[in-house]
Amino acid sequence: MNTSIKGNWILILALTLFSAPLVIMYGFQLIDSVSRPAPGGIIPQEWELTNWRFLWEPIDSARPSIWRVTFNTFVFASTTALLVCAFSITAAYALSRLNFPARRFFLAGLIMLHAFPTITLIIAIFIVLQFLGLYDSLMGVILVKAALELPFGIWIMKGFYDSVPWEIEMAGVQDGASRFRVWWELILPQVKPGLSALLIFSFLAGWSEFILPLVLAPGADAQVLATYMNAVIADDTRPDYGLFKAIGMFYALPVIAIYLLFQKRLMNIYGGGTKG
Amino acid sequence: MNRQTLLGWSFLSPALMAVVMFFLLPVILTVVFAFTNMSTSTGILGGEYQISESDLRRLPAAGVSNESVEMLAGAGYAVRPETLALFASDFGDERADELDALHGGAVFDDRRAIERALKDLRRDPIRSVRDRKAAAEMFRISILGQRYPTEAAFADAIADIGVPDADRAALTEAAYTGWTFTTQNFELLWELPATWRYAMNSVVYVVLTLAFNVSFGLFLAFSTFYLPTRTAQTFRAIWFLPRILPPVLYVLMWQWLTWDQGFISTILRPFGIEPINWMRHTATHAWTFIVLINGCVGASLGMILFSSSLRAIPETQLYAAQVDGANRWQQVRFVLLPQMRWPILFITSYQTLSLLTSFEYILLATDGGPGRQTEVWALAAYHTALSNYGGNLEYGLGAAYALALVIIGILLSALYLRFFNFRELVAKPRIEQ
Repeated sequence: MNTSIKGNWILILALTLFSAPLVIMYGFQLIDSVSRPAPGGIIPQEWELTNWRFLWEPIDSARPSIWRVTFNTFVFASTTALLVCAFSITAAYALSRLNFPARRFFLAGLIMLHAFPTITLIIAIFIVLQFLGLYDSLMGVILVKAALELPFGIWIMKGFYDSVPWEIEMAGVQDGASRFRVWWELILPQVKPGLSALLIFSFLAGWSEFILPLVLAPGADAQVLATYMNAVIADDTRPDYGLFKAIGMFYALPVIAIYLLFQKRLMNIYGGGTKG
Repeated sequence: MNRQTLLGWSFLSPALMAVVMFFLLPVILTVVFAFTNMSTSTGILGGEYQISESDLRRLPAAGVSNESVEMLAGAGYAVRPETLALFASDFGDERADELDALHGGAVFDDRRAIERALKDLRRDPIRSVRDRKAAAEMFRISILGQRYPTEAAFADAIADIGVPDADRAALTEAAYTGWTFTTQNFELLWELPATWRYAMNSVVYVVLTLAFNVSFGLFLAFSTFYLPTRTAQTFRAIWFLPRILPPVLYVLMWQWLTWDQGFISTILRPFGIEPINWMRHTATHAWTFIVLINGCVGASLGMILFSSSLRAIPETQLYAAQVDGANRWQQVRFVLLPQMRWPILFITSYQTLSLLTSFEYILLATDGGPGRQTEVWALAAYHTALSNYGGNLEYGLGAAYALALVIIGILLSALYLRFFNFRELVAKPRIEQ
């Protein structure tokens, strides 16, 4: 098979052309956040950091501080990720390895939930949260997000449990360990890579989530970076794209860092998972 | 219950609780809410019973006789033994006796009239305006503007002013401020021409985006398959980013690309093309960019899945095809593509459902505009129930919109259940055998 650059120049040209809009957008996202374009133009004129002023002074008086919002986002994303992982490792193990009544039923339910579009339930969830008194609180959004990510988490973890050889478990049970101890000491270490992938994935999912905080916690106290950024964009009568892009850059930095660090692992889980 | 069953249940229970709370309950509630007129004005907990001045006009249409309406409107303040007793306990027996002598059994139409009577008491007039107001309130028999927390309290009140039995049920129903069960949401959906437009918009959106996702995902997978590893990785990274970038930022980039002083307008200006907002100028512009914005996210999923199934195809088949003189297009068409049937089917079925119900990117990009030309069904549900400029959020009607999607979601995901290799999936655990 010919995989040289020379022999494939038509393909590379086509791919480059198709990718150009994306590359332009990425490029200017970077450039515009640290520069000012000429009036009415797009070529950067001056390099400057005034777009990043939102870090040390409030953009306007009605808005919460960016650090408060960032803290909220971090709490939201990490708590969600921890909840998803904690619930997934036990539930997935039960579905993968334990023989108990109604297991088939739960498995069928899991597959259906995995494909079911949860966003359609948002109106009912909105009202459930009002009943529970969790509306407009970070706690409420965390619980909802974790619950909605759960079928995906269980699905992924079940896949990892399924690939652990039965012999390990058999050996443990034969040596007289309880099923719980076998799970905790023998099986769990085997699925650590899967667990860390799920942790990263759920963290990213929480970090990027927009609709749930928008609908379920619109107040200033529970604002996260997605709703903060959206509110800044929506409020402005004259768009200041330099500022927007700097906020966007700040918002996306952890995502890009995680992507660069865990590229391979993420590709796998995004391939196995089927969100969107 | 044996120990393993116990362990199974306890391992499953936290997840099960979350599922019941945030999946099962909302599914059931969506059905329930779809049959109510719940909205911001009715509130979501129960309501009260209240007839206000402005309600009087619509009462005849609700089946209340004119006689009763006049009774409600006319009744004001009456000097009766029971109201007098109330008055006497606060303002003294002497005043009460005098009022009884002067106005016993009289009915005053408005508050000013009764206040004048109280001021004109000869022996000990009530001089303070505040006291007079409080005293007048004691004679009040009108129920207009009065709130009654329970149905029984309201029934007593209308019985007191003498509303005939025949009208009481209709009046009680009209006075209720909380939500009630009704089928009018579905009648409304059926009648509104906008409903059909939203449904059509959804179909257009799903078909176009899906076509883009699958074809472009395939193109990306095949083209990077034939490239040297480093080059392929670069292109894959470019196309993978839309998937992990936060949607708010990702759509902002497109906004910048298309707004009237943005990238497209700026580079086209030297060619004499007027700057316009390329994303919102017309419906066609809007649809193009909505498909592109969603498509770039969807295509990357296609790319990842298709690439990994391409790598699973034995390379020897390609060499064999090459020996037989097949060019690259023939290799793709006759060797690779036929083996990609399952991944393509999977992406198509999965994304049909998720595109049909997702509205995040459209909300961020055009918010259904221009006009309501890119308003898809899922976005209409969101706008009706959770965000509109009028301020009255119609949860019931929104739930009726959502119910259609929930039903489609359940049907399609049940169908996909058959696609998966279910029997293999539920193979019995081996330890106890």
